[in-house]
Amino acid sequence: MKITGLQVFWMITIMDLGMTLIMTLSPSMQSAKQDVWISMLFAGCLILLVTFFVTNVTVLYPEKDLIQLSHTILGKWIGKVVVLIYLVQWYTITPIVLRQFVDVIQIMILPETPKAAVMLIMLLLIVYTTHSGGIVSIARCSEILGPIIILMVLLAMAASFNNIDLKYLLPVYADSGIGGIAKGTLAPASYLGHSVEYLMLASFLYQPRKGAPYAYWGVITAAFFALIAMLMATITLGVNILPKMWYPFFEMSRKISLFGFIENFDPLSIVIWVASVFIKLAIYLFISSYGTAQFLKIKNWKVMIWLIAPVIMVFAYFPTNVSEATSNYLMNYWVPFALPVNMIALPLLLLIVGKIKQKKSKSVSH
Amino acid sequence: MILNRIFFVSLISCLALLTGCWDRKEMDDLALVLASGVDLTDEGQVEITLQIALPTGIPSSLQSSGKAANPIVVLSAAGKDSIDAFDQLQQQMSRRINLGHRGVIVIGEKYARQGFDRILDTLLRSSESRYNSYIVTTYGTTAKEILNSPYQLELIPAIGINKLQYNDYSLSIQIDKFIDALSSFDKEPVTGAIRVTKHGSKQQGFILDKAAVYRSNKLVGFLSGDELKAFRLLTRKFDGIHLTTQMEPPTKKQKGTISVQMIKAETNIHTELKNGKPEVSIYFKAVAKVLSNDTNMDLSKTINRVEERFSEDCHKAIMGMLSRTQKKFKADIVGIGREFHIQHPYVWKKIKNDWNMRYPEISIQLITDFRIERVGRTQAPAQLQEN
Repeated sequence: MKITGLQVFWMITIMDLGMTLIMTLSPSMQSAKQDVWISMLFAGCLILLVTFFVTNVTVLYPEKDLIQLSHTILGKWIGKVVVLIYLVQWYTITPIVLRQFVDVIQIMILPETPKAAVMLIMLLLIVYTTHSGGIVSIARCSEILGPIIILMVLLAMAASFNNIDLKYLLPVYADSGIGGIAKGTLAPASYLGHSVEYLMLASFLYQPRKGAPYAYWGVITAAFFALIAMLMATITLGVNILPKMWYPFFEMSRKISLFGFIENFDPLSIVIWVASVFIKLAIYLFISSYGTAQFLKIKNWKVMIWLIAPVIMVFAYFPTNVSEATSNYLMNYWVPFALPVNMIALPLLLLIVGKIKQKKSKSVSH
Repeated sequence: MILNRIFFVSLISCLALLTGCWDRKEMDDLALVLASGVDLTDEGQVEITLQIALPTGIPSSLQSSGKAANPIVVLSAAGKDSIDAFDQLQQQMSRRINLGHRGVIVIGEKYARQGFDRILDTLLRSSESRYNSYIVTTYGTTAKEILNSPYQLELIPAIGINKLQYNDYSLSIQIDKFIDALSSFDKEPVTGAIRVTKHGSKQQGFILDKAAVYRSNKLVGFLSGDELKAFRLLTRKFDGIHLTTQMEPPTKKQKGTISVQMIKAETNIHTELKNGKPEVSIYFKAVAKVLSNDTNMDLSKTINRVEERFSEDCHKAIMGMLSRTQKKFKADIVGIGREFHIQHPYVWKKIKNDWNMRYPEISIQLITDFRIERVGRTQAPAQLQEN
């Protein structure tokens, strides 16, 4: 299984962009108000730093993925603990994303369709993709879907141009203050932080050493589009209504009204957004199956898909309502734990220990 | 392997084909609501009126002869809140109520004066609700009466209201702007106001010629005539506004009026804090073109005088409108609070909660500047007899 740098770029972009756009604007806006774009800038910078750690870790041992890396760098036991922490992240985020996806579909367009139907279709799709070619088929899908998703975001924004009111951005800074902006940074940063999955993806690259720029550009592209989309949503519907809505970006596309006959644009943007959820879920299914298989030393990782897919489905039923799935998970696990530990501390630890080890081994060999 | 694939493909295609079935809604099982109205009954309940399009009643272009059935159905029911009233309505309808095409929401005056409640939340919460529906308040009548009154230009009266609003012939406000104003501290909501026009005893239709002013969620009054124009000018909703002034005293041949059409209007609101009190200066700049001249002036020479006169007129109208919103309505519909919020954000934090009370007391200065850019094809009126 080998993938190209461009495919990694698209995978990271899609994985980051889709969910950040939809899920983080409200929580971010509730604290940063009209300065949400500043929050987004900070979030982008923070994640670039994370990406810096991550890409440098992968360069240490280019042929190894996260599971092997942490074993090599941190030794058998600590390595296992670190891997477990990541497995927890993957095993919980996948059902949550699936559930959030179902919630969006139910709230916005198909209010009466049973959850199971929507979930099952998505699950079968990602199982099929992952099973048929592993990371290669996911990568190829994202190469095709990526530009379409970007185009959808641009189209939705272009069509909103007649609704804008720039005064919604004023006053800058005064209403939220540094505290509000900092707090508003957390949610988008934690969603953009999916670039840590590059740790798993890098070893599949044809040239793992040259993968770093693609990861950077993936993060930059995602952060940039999320930023202008948030800006656009802010100036179309304003800071009074938007923080109270679940999915502000779709609300913005719902406000679109062109020439008196193009209205209620949201189904189109939702349908295309589903593509980004699909890529994200497929990547997670792949890395959790592949990672678990390696962790448990199972030779045929595809067996794990059949084990994990039902688990995802069952877990996705756990949240009893939309706020448990969307905000509780985000605010109680993802932001306070996954962001500082999985995305910043552990990559940093791997980087530092790995560097020291390599220097030692070099000095020994000399 | 092949069997496996066939199994997969068939399973996925099955699911893909079946997704629509759970909440499928056929066209002839839907009652497409084009406008809804809200009134207050004497018992204090909410009365919802729906204007529903009947597709079979709309004659196709081929079917020219023969009288078509009425293309709309209007139904009303009262309940504890909108959902309760909708239930009452649904029980008498064989088709499912669908709000996806609702373009207009009509608010009865009595209901609005008592306070806009109970139905407000559903305007955005339901997945069928749309931002681009227009909201209008009735003047001197009920929403029920508006929705029941015939309208001759359109087959469906609701579409008439919708188009009147869409074309900006009068003040037009969409739901999101209304709710945005309601939910913010720095401005008060307004809507267009609609009333029934009557000729003799016969009902003719409706007219949208006023603006309803809200203070918080309660209707407090209406703006009309010059005040409405002034409000639209000041808030840059100037599309299609015509102004007429008495330029000269009437003579035997002419009445001495000049009318212009607005091309551009700009407002700059500057706020200051003096001795802890907000002071506001408004700079209003307008550009217009002359449409009619019933004086014996040659506009190529006297344009400055006309500009001055219009500038004075605007000044008078805008000040009149502002003092009415301050003294009578006590509602900051122009959004002076918003400018204050932007220009003095830290002071605003302290006073935003009682902006409502402060607004009537602030002093407002107004400077108007009126330019006439074009005068049409003629210089002096062509019908003038030259001495």
